Amino acid sequence: MEHIVFGIGITALTGALATVAGSAEDTESNIGSQGDPNSQVQLAPQMGFLHRIFNKAVAGEPPAYGLWCALGAGLAWAFMAMQINAILAIVLGCVLAVFVQGVYATTAYLGRTASLAKFGQPVYVDIIKSMTTVTMAHAFIAIFCTVAICQLINGALGHPFPLPLLALIWGIALGAAGSATGNPYYGKERQYQNQKFGAGVPISASGNIVRYAEAGERNSIDNGFFTHKIGGSASGICFGLIVFLELWRTILFERIYAGWGAIAVGVLMILIFTVVDRYIEVWARKNYGPYTVPKEADA
Amino acid sequence: MNPTAMAVGVVLLIIILGACWYVSPTLGLTALIGIIIGGVLIGFGTHFVPVGGAPAAMGQAPGIATGVAMLAAGAGLAGLFGGAWAAEQGMVVAVVTGGIGGGLMMAITCMMVNFVYVYGMGIPAASGKVLHDPITGDSQAEYKSQGTEGHGLPFVSFVGGVIGGILGGAGGTLIYLELLGLYEATFPKMMGATAAQVMPVAVAIAGMFAVALFLVNAVLTAYNITGTIEGPHDPKFKRWPRAIVASAVASALCGFVAILIVAM
Repeated sequence: MEHIVFGIGITALTGALATVAGSAEDTESNIGSQGDPNSQVQLAPQMGFLHRIFNKAVAGEPPAYGLWCALGAGLAWAFMAMQINAILAIVLGCVLAVFVQGVYATTAYLGRTASLAKFGQPVYVDIIKSMTTVTMAHAFIAIFCTVAICQLINGALGHPFPLPLLALIWGIALGAAGSATGNPYYGKERQYQNQKFGAGVPISASGNIVRYAEAGERNSIDNGFFTHKIGGSASGICFGLIVFLELWRTILFERIYAGWGAIAVGVLMILIFTVVDRYIEVWARKNYGPYTVPKEADA
Repeated sequence: MNPTAMAVGVVLLIIILGACWYVSPTLGLTALIGIIIGGVLIGFGTHFVPVGGAPAAMGQAPGIATGVAMLAAGAGLAGLFGGAWAAEQGMVVAVVTGGIGGGLMMAITCMMVNFVYVYGMGIPAASGKVLHDPITGDSQAEYKSQGTEGHGLPFVSFVGGVIGGILGGAGGTLIYLELLGLYEATFPKMMGATAAQVMPVAVAIAGMFAVALFLVNAVLTAYNITGTIEGPHDPKFKRWPRAIVASAVASALCGFVAILIVAM
């Protein structure tokens, strides 16, 4: 019983950390413009729309976060082997991993923006100075929380994988959840704020991203401020649910029927999410209605 | 489909199996067959995952706004995490646990994608590839906004995502278990240590190879899909047979390397 109560406490803590990690990851990738929406940031100058948005698509978010989390965890592991306190070791490991992220961000911005020179896109030095550190700060939160989750899973819950391998796995999952949930909100809702609400961006509008703010030109910190409220929160809830429910069903039910209990609860949860998804889909169809008259009615 | 290429793939597969039988006829060959089945499950499962890439991020195409290999890896590795934890409870329980872990990750992600589209952006789900959802029968064409190929995740894409996560998680776990069994049996003699002493090394190396094989198969399938896919109703889904052969050959080759470190 004590083991289960302890496990539930750790599970709750990891769920909370994962929620913060998911939110920070999405906000970091939006400020740095790393996910799929960055295709428009890269495209805009080619269509004649010069801008002051950061441009650091180092890689897809999942492999990038896989690398940074594994790096942070690997270094933390090495520090712990040197008898350094676990919390301090994780902080030090993550700080060093964030420096690598900063180097990638800087070289990615310079390289990608310089490749747009023939379209007249300038490289803004003040953008590097002011925004790189903001992405690094958010990356630190995301990496620290993920490595802390992995340390709890490995040290307290006894998962057999070593810390760096766990961090690679959960870093990739963090990037996948964050990019899947947060990208549309940044890509459609923020970059194309000049398009109609409640509809996708027409393909003909590609590249015509919003470049001006209330005062002066829009920058990537504005984008992070805007997207973290819904995109960031949704990404946080998504990754938090994934980590929490995966651990919760294992801790509570793995001993029931030699593992089949956890499987049955997993199947039940999939069915619940399926019902919720279908409800959301039907709700949208009923409340928003079709864009055009159905073909049957036309006939 | 190119029959010559398929035949070449099958011949390569037989050659690699033969080479494995030569160096390790019992333990190694059994492990390699498990690895090939796991790799094929990952390759086949990735075809189910609805991925819209960059166009989906602007609500210009249905699917999840990220890369095929990225999303499949995220789901499958979350499954591998659960499967590895359940390894002590036997192969069947562990593989099913891995599959359910991957499916759960995809169910949560797909639900949250629709949540953001509907409540954050006011956009209903609509497929660009079919007039009616094959599962619910809902009409799709009139729910596509002007100038787009659709957006969000129609129900069939949600189901496809969950199936893809289940197959990927199960495949990744199967590869891990096969390699773990092989390393647990061979490392003590090779290293001159007890089974308990070699366990952390066996777990770590088997885990790394499982992650690597997962990425190999997911990326290979991403090339077969060429960018984006809506799910099992997408015409691109019919390309799966050639991905199966390619995944089998790639898994066999990578698995053979993983076996050689203990067989030579």
